[in-house]
Amino acid sequence: MSRSRARRGPWLVLAGVLLLGLFVASLMAPEFMPTPELDRAYLPPWKAPPAGTDDRGLPLYLYGLQGARIVLGPSLAAGGLIIGFATVAGLVRCAGVAWLDGFIQVFGEVVGALPRLVVILVVALLIPMEWKSLTPIALAWAVLAAPGAMDEAASTAGRLGGERFVEALRAHGFDAFRIYLYHVVWLNLRPVIVRQAAEVMMQVVFLEIALSYLALRRNEPSFTHAENTSSWAVLLYQGYTGLLGVPLLHSLAFGLLLVALVALLAQALRMGARAR
Amino acid sequence: MSWWARPVIRLMAALLLPLAIPALLTAVLWALPGNPAEIICPREICQGTEALARRWGLDQGPVHYYLTWLSNAATGSFGNSWRVQQGFPVADLIWESLPRTAGLVLFSLVPLTLASALAALDWMPRRLDPLWQLIGLVPAVILALFAAAQVEMNYGAQSYEGWPLMLRLLLGATVLGFADGALANAVVGTRSTFEEELKQRYVQIAVLRGESVFWNSLPNVLPALVGQTRGRVLHVMSGTVVVEVVLGIPGLGELLFDGTLLQDFGVVLAAAWAFSLLSSALLVVQAGSELLHGVWVRRHPTGVTAGAMEPAGAVG
Repeated sequence: MSRSRARRGPWLVLAGVLLLGLFVASLMAPEFMPTPELDRAYLPPWKAPPAGTDDRGLPLYLYGLQGARIVLGPSLAAGGLIIGFATVAGLVRCAGVAWLDGFIQVFGEVVGALPRLVVILVVALLIPMEWKSLTPIALAWAVLAAPGAMDEAASTAGRLGGERFVEALRAHGFDAFRIYLYHVVWLNLRPVIVRQAAEVMMQVVFLEIALSYLALRRNEPSFTHAENTSSWAVLLYQGYTGLLGVPLLHSLAFGLLLVALVALLAQALRMGARAR
Repeated sequence: MSWWARPVIRLMAALLLPLAIPALLTAVLWALPGNPAEIICPREICQGTEALARRWGLDQGPVHYYLTWLSNAATGSFGNSWRVQQGFPVADLIWESLPRTAGLVLFSLVPLTLASALAALDWMPRRLDPLWQLIGLVPAVILALFAAAQVEMNYGAQSYEGWPLMLRLLLGATVLGFADGALANAVVGTRSTFEEELKQRYVQIAVLRGESVFWNSLPNVLPALVGQTRGRVLHVMSGTVVVEVVLGIPGLGELLFDGTLLQDFGVVLAAAWAFSLLSSALLVVQAGSELLHGVWVRRHPTGVTAGAMEPAGAVG
């Protein structure tokens, strides 16, 4: 095993474990919350493992499971979209399609001209009630994040030599499939693409938390999930009351732990996909 | 691509943005399945949708709605709020909230500009970079939550005037300046721009002459720095939505969020338009600085390189 692969290995394992954990949590998430048990309210984690209970006696880990189900699919979809956009931009730079390269630059200028959250809120307003979920918002976020990812992928391909790199490999007798997908995408663009996708996945999770938290502050249903499910924002919202004196600081700690694990997942993916 | 192409594209985008945003919103509203009035105000929530459609001018087609809205907007009239503050003129809501958002954005640019300047002068220790990056991983909503708790514990939940409001603004600006990678990106982005320029021969010769890297590089990296600053302002403007709602700052971002949450199409359209005007202004500033820089470089090629060896090549 090469030294670089040995360095990447632990990060890849960690990323795999965290992704698997998120996947299992989303599968185990209950459809509805159980009936409140007020006599078990405000219990800390050591009295009601693994995460304690909230002000209605509901186990906090159930919020964790439901939140995982809300974010997993949309964040993966957003990451996938970014991978697609960045790959196309890198390949276009290598293929030397000047008009498409120019079009991508104009697309980046226009899409990147507005504050992202403003666009997201407008998208959220326009989504019909029956379609309201995190998925369209996550995809819109991915489109808004795409110019940055495309620009970086294109620059990386440009630094590689662009058309000249492809010509050189053609001179070696490699076919187009091997040149573009193996040498350009897998060996050279992979670190950039994976990092951008991981960042966008993380941003989508944080976006969901932020939007749901803001809706909770207004006592209104969030437009990112159905009313029968609870976001990780609930943990932070309850934790906020913990800061003001209500015995719910363990809710804040659990919410922050989940946020930290998502950030760690993004970091692990980034480190795992580093260039040799 | 010619040197003037990008700034011209930016100028065109700046001109089109305020026209395109309401056009896009109107088009999407009519493209979605169902009656626009029912999309804005579903039957489960609203009664008498036809009467509401007439009152909101939605009953005469998208072109009529768009042109009427745009001509009214040009005179500063956006109609009345449908839900956020029912019957209250939207223009008044916008004018009341705009100064607070502007203040929040300007205050948050202080740490970012300072960090950029220190990074450009290479006075920002590199060993602090992991710290900025670690802080940058924290989402704005979490930092804002702690800031809001601090204000409410000291001044009460209803403290929205005088010093507590100023404190909310200052804490909000600090959150925007640090969260979501803002400061880390400012430091790393500025430093890498100067480091990239350091590879140019004219800078290396300046170093050999004992001249300042910063002052030799600055004219050439200025367009890139202006572009980065625009990106930072957009990032901060985006974050104002979260910070204003969590910290209870009655600004444009809060207005936009409330409009979205309460399905107040009139407020959202007007607030989004206001944001598009701000974005256009930023595009104009960037394009203008690029054009001025381009013209100046071509008129005074030696001035840019401080009399060094590469009069035109250094510009790129």
